[in-house]
Amino acid sequence: MILAIDTSAGTSVALIENGEVRAEANFEDNMRHAEVIGEAIEKVLAEAFVKPEQINVVVAGRGPAPFTGLRVGIAAATMFAAGAHAKLFGAVSLDAIARDELTRGENHLLLVTTDARRKEVYWALYEGLDSDGVPNRIEGPQVAKPQDLEELLKERGLDPVRAQAKMSATQLGLLAYDLQKAGRLNQDTTALYLRQADAVEPNPNKRFGKPVSG
Amino acid sequence: MKPYIRLATEADLESIMTLEHASFPRDAWPHESMLFELNANHTRYFVLFDDPSETSLKAYAGLSKLPDNFSADVQTIAVDPAARGQGFGRQLMERLLTEAVNLGATEIFLEVRADNPVAQNLYASLGFDHIDTRKRYYQPDDVDAWVMRLTLNASATKQPLVLGIESSCDETGVGIVRGNTLLANVISSSMDLHSRFGGVVPEIAARAHLEALQPTLEKALQEAQIDLSELDAIAVTNGPGLAGALMVGVGAAKALAVATGKPLYAVNHLVGHVGVDVLERGELELPTIALLVSGGHTSLLKVENLLDNVELLGETIDDAAGEAFDKVARLLGLGYPGGPVIDEAAKTGDPKAIRFPRGLSLPKDMEKHRYDFSFSGLKTAVARWVEVKEMNNEEVPLNDVAASFREAVVDVLVTKAVNACIDHNIPRLLLGGGVVANARLRELAQEKCNEHGIELRIPAFSLCTDNGAMIATLGAQLVMAGRKPSSLSFGANSTLPVTTVQTA
Repeated sequence: MILAIDTSAGTSVALIENGEVRAEANFEDNMRHAEVIGEAIEKVLAEAFVKPEQINVVVAGRGPAPFTGLRVGIAAATMFAAGAHAKLFGAVSLDAIARDELTRGENHLLLVTTDARRKEVYWALYEGLDSDGVPNRIEGPQVAKPQDLEELLKERGLDPVRAQAKMSATQLGLLAYDLQKAGRLNQDTTALYLRQADAVEPNPNKRFGKPVSG
Repeated sequence: MKPYIRLATEADLESIMTLEHASFPRDAWPHESMLFELNANHTRYFVLFDDPSETSLKAYAGLSKLPDNFSADVQTIAVDPAARGQGFGRQLMERLLTEAVNLGATEIFLEVRADNPVAQNLYASLGFDHIDTRKRYYQPDDVDAWVMRLTLNASATKQPLVLGIESSCDETGVGIVRGNTLLANVISSSMDLHSRFGGVVPEIAARAHLEALQPTLEKALQEAQIDLSELDAIAVTNGPGLAGALMVGVGAAKALAVATGKPLYAVNHLVGHVGVDVLERGELELPTIALLVSGGHTSLLKVENLLDNVELLGETIDDAAGEAFDKVARLLGLGYPGGPVIDEAAKTGDPKAIRFPRGLSLPKDMEKHRYDFSFSGLKTAVARWVEVKEMNNEEVPLNDVAASFREAVVDVLVTKAVNACIDHNIPRLLLGGGVVANARLRELAQEKCNEHGIELRIPAFSLCTDNGAMIATLGAQLVMAGRKPSSLSFGANSTLPVTTVQTA
């Protein structure tokens, strides 16, 4: 049984068994991840009458995301796996959105974008599903200004379908199920920020004309 | 006055050896053996004093418990010949028994001289049975040893096993305690990552917490030799601190609680700093004034009751003391973190060379801010002073500046803390927080406390800096007091007041 946790947008948790959704919980508020994560996990377990020890795979959505909340989901997934003695894996959240779109329509070129704040977007480009039924990511994830991204697509003569779907742990869990079947689950759960932490190195002698002597 | 018992440290070695020779004139342990015993991982030594200023050591005792073994051994016990008959031996033995139970022992052994009926009677009254005799065990006296054994009733006396997670600033801490006994205290610090910025960068700290969680947890479980399923509860810091950093710990703790089915306690970081003292002393002597000084906090608390009555007397109105050290160190080009580098530079400096201002210490400030602190003006004063020297092309006496700055910080901290003790008629002061590492702070606090008959408590440094053990300890206190766990819906609160010891 797979527990999927994603906090790259809101807080989304889902329980997947044999490729079927057993339960899901979605909280759209993207400011309250730490508040709702515990109840979200508890809710899906209770709804499906599943005990923690029945979970053998935990998958964490790695983002990309600009929010502090991204870490809450990954931290929760890490600790849940430790507590339930389950295996821990990670997946790119944008891949789950792509799966949502591509499993509903025909195989086509798909652009997934999410809000990266600061007037930028995270994006990745997909070319249909591969033979394992997994979205075939051909570029990204990266962060860019929307106009720069459009410029890039135009330059290359690409006109992808724009994904409309929202992030959901259900799709993340189903993706993990397909990856698991194909033996392709990845243990990397590091958060994808795609930006350096905001921090400015101070000039140690800013106030003085020359270094002080000792 | 009630005697008190605390864990022994290497600093107690000399007084222990004096008592050792007085108690066992013919077969005292050598100095090196005792030092090994004090420092070994599998032993716990306790010292007993009959007064809080620790004028003279009255008794000591040691316990040995190997991690993979269910039996413990009493290594030694000695009571000052002049202090016998006051129940000190019994009190120490009772402490050893609690400790043995908390360490997971189900039976405990000791050897006693066949020609010492007083000791034999004490052990028998504690429930020990004489199970064997070792012939001519004690040399050169040629005296037999009685082997005595006590089966420990673990289920009746075992205190709760609690894991604590701390992530409020730049240390990821996971600690494990059994009641008042420390089993593991693992800290992963992101300090080095902040060094080129001259201060803690919240986003970098939060990122580091996420990376450090899993390995820190694993290491703590290994150190305590327990499995998560054995826990009675989980505790986590939910404030005060850096919001993004706190959220990592909160999210982690909640998922761990759901996965293991264990009750979760959301606790106050600052109160954790106070409560940690029970790990060394077995209990917290109350009421007490507590001065908590770190890179993020400078708070003066009045603690009547750890779980119900903690009052904030005052705090910094601008920079924390540790922050002031960092900023001034940067100003002087000394590096990061500021505390140790300024301490080092100050060693050869004159603390009276420059009279830097004492923040909020003027009579008019004292009316409104008797217990508050301010270090921002001091930092500016140092900058101005150095600037003027620079402008006049004079050499800056770095060591004097460091020593004088440090003196100004420490003077205000200690003066206000001692004032609080005197004003509230509370003859106890507890220090906590990373700045406690500062040698001059400890020195001046001791000096002023001695002057005013105040008992000063400074926990071991590893328990003073931010750590998970103090969070686990506070959680264990809540469990033992029968408090209900927190709900799963609490959030991280960067400005959590000290009056909220536990968030429901």
